[in-house]
Amino acid sequence: MSTLCALPLASVDFTTLPQQLVNGFLLGAIYALVALGYTMVYGVLKLINFAHGEVFMLGSYGALFTSWMLGFGPGGNEALTGSWLTLVIMLFGSMLVSGTAGFLIERFAYRPIRNHPRIASLITAIGLSLLLQYGGQIFLLQGGKQAINSKVNPFADDLTFNLVKPDPKLAAEAATYQKRVDDAQVAKDKQFEHESDRFNPSAFGVSLEKTLNELKESQSDISNKANRTAVTLKIPKGKLIMLTAILGLMFSLWYLVMKTRMGRAMRAVSVDFNAASLMGINLNTVITFTFILGSTLAGAGAMMYSTFQAAPIDSFSGAAPGVKAFVAAVLGGIGNIPGAVLGALVMGIAENLVTWSGYSSYRDAIAFVILIGVLMFRPGGILGSNKVEKV
Amino acid sequence: MKIGGSNLNLIALGLVVSGILVGCNGDGSKGGGTNNATAPEADTWTGNEAIKIGCVTSISGDNKPWGTDQLEGCKLALNEFNHAGGLDGKNVGMIEGDTASKPDQAKLAAEKVLSQGVIGIVGEVSSGNTIQIANSAKAKGVPVVAVGATRTDLTKDSPHVFRVCYTDAFQGPVMATFAFEKLHIKKMAILTDNFLPYSQGLSDSFREKFKALGGEIVADEKYESGGKGLPDYQGVLTNIAKKNPEGLFLSGYFTEVGPITKQARANGIKATFLGGDGWDSDTILTSAGDAILGGFFCNHYNNLDTSAEVQGFLTKWKAKHNGAEPSTTMGALGYDAMSLTLDALKRAKTKDSKGLLDAIEDTSGYKGVSGEITLKGNHGNPPKKAIVVEVTKKNGANWQKFAVSYTPDQIK
Repeated sequence: MSTLCALPLASVDFTTLPQQLVNGFLLGAIYALVALGYTMVYGVLKLINFAHGEVFMLGSYGALFTSWMLGFGPGGNEALTGSWLTLVIMLFGSMLVSGTAGFLIERFAYRPIRNHPRIASLITAIGLSLLLQYGGQIFLLQGGKQAINSKVNPFADDLTFNLVKPDPKLAAEAATYQKRVDDAQVAKDKQFEHESDRFNPSAFGVSLEKTLNELKESQSDISNKANRTAVTLKIPKGKLIMLTAILGLMFSLWYLVMKTRMGRAMRAVSVDFNAASLMGINLNTVITFTFILGSTLAGAGAMMYSTFQAAPIDSFSGAAPGVKAFVAAVLGGIGNIPGAVLGALVMGIAENLVTWSGYSSYRDAIAFVILIGVLMFRPGGILGSNKVEKV
Repeated sequence: MKIGGSNLNLIALGLVVSGILVGCNGDGSKGGGTNNATAPEADTWTGNEAIKIGCVTSISGDNKPWGTDQLEGCKLALNEFNHAGGLDGKNVGMIEGDTASKPDQAKLAAEKVLSQGVIGIVGEVSSGNTIQIANSAKAKGVPVVAVGATRTDLTKDSPHVFRVCYTDAFQGPVMATFAFEKLHIKKMAILTDNFLPYSQGLSDSFREKFKALGGEIVADEKYESGGKGLPDYQGVLTNIAKKNPEGLFLSGYFTEVGPITKQARANGIKATFLGGDGWDSDTILTSAGDAILGGFFCNHYNNLDTSAEVQGFLTKWKAKHNGAEPSTTMGALGYDAMSLTLDALKRAKTKDSKGLLDAIEDTSGYKGVSGEITLKGNHGNPPKKAIVVEVTKKNGANWQKFAVSYTPDQIK
């Protein structure tokens, strides 16, 4: 251990590695929902929908407003707590909002210029993204960042797994301190009831405080020692539910794309746009469907992100997840559905590993370094084709 | 004759019209008089005055709770000044600029008010935005009086920038001293918002002082609240939880600190939470729930202070806001910044930017709501007292319980 501490990776602690991998996996699962939208739209239209992050943002607002309608808004009943039904309604609210947004964006921004050079669509996408970000400043809430009331989530407690238990001998020693600490605490509290200023106590108060602090310190020293080798894994129940829902959504997507007529049409369009149209596939329907599908998934991701990660929402809050998910989609091979999921998981885990190694300030930089690294050796992405594409 | 007749007619018409106008004015002022007792009085300026001060702040965006309080504080100060006779009997005007809580917009807002001929600027509430305003004002030699910008190097090499608050070089050590001496914390973790210059500066000064006192920094983590960073705190909190610190210093803004404290408790972090004046908005109570209760942060003044300045200010504020107290400290600081500027304007030898700048520089022993402000010989950084407050459950508008106050001499 002592030699390890001298290395630049001073704060690497292998006991937290399992927890960080789980954190990364859960974060990656959310990225995946957003990345799927990028990759599907690219698949059928060869268009990078830069407004996808804003669809995500609108989805967060959908979830926020739904929660307000259910009584979790400002000035709502304090005693109200959510149930699984609240979460389901919020999920549908957010999916509805973002699905509608995706439909409108395709219908009014992209369809009119679909037959123009692709650069026109790309610029439109960037313009639309800015329009929604700054337009949102005017039409959405102006009271700064809003957060969803955490009471909507009834599954706040953790599932704890003790993979490696604390050193039993030291833990028992720490436990013997407990009674003495409690006694000292009671004595101190009793004295401090009579103190006029708790930060300038009398001499007797100071001595009681000192005894308590010394006891607490020795106890925490021993329990820290006991816990040094312990490996615990904490997973909030809410996030497990989130993960189940994400897996469910991905399975539905797989079924839709691989097993239904509409899915077959989507795949045909992505192989050859014009030929598919000659074979009697209604392009408008397929493209609209793809947009709605991708946007709905982004909406689901937005709801989960703003509810379970308690991320504050404003009209710019889609930009960062949008960029991350876009990178994930490119990393996995844009246009490739399993690739988007894989890329997103790689991103999520990589980011948390950077944090784990003690370089949390470079977390976002490393994500892009990985992207560049992968693209140097596999320009099409991890699962993508190596065909040269121009954007 | 004909011409004279028409002239007479015109004069008669003029009299009638002016009579109507006078009548209207009479009614209007009467109406205003009765309104004054219940509703807030109207502002005393139109923006067309010869001498104008800019009020640039975050009227929208993330820092809206602070920005609107600054704006209201500035309005209160200027109305008071104009009612008391203004500048040699003439009203002074104010031009508002909205930074939307963003540095790029802050630059635009500053250029906007500068183009309308303001001779001084009051603002901003955050350091990142003030830097932009200061840069824009520099070329025109317009003095900037910052309201809540505490970043230490803000006034360095910028003789035209002043502030009415203390600096991070002071509030960081205040919190470090408080944690070490009063809370007896030996093992501290720090979580910095790398997106905010404010947070970085504050964490630096805190870290340095805490180590100097003999404490140990067991974890030093970063997150980013904006830019391309994603507000995901799970990873850094896992690292901190393993180190089991006794205190966790969160130098970011209330928007992020609220959710972080909540998730920190969920991650099993039992530490006492500590922070800077960036916590000062009651929305932190809703986003953090019970997790933040018992946390301590550094502030500029407290509504429960019984001094004449504070209580006088609160009476005036309440009269204008239907009895509500300012929910953040920026109301008082905004009021102080504007009053100080106007006080300097009165003393200024020439009533332009140059004269105003010299007069502000010359301010000594100004009695503000947030304490005495002396800028003379202090390079824009007034030595002020800081108070440490505890976060408690909301009782009316009050949710901060005074703990300890520190003067600059106590920290050195």
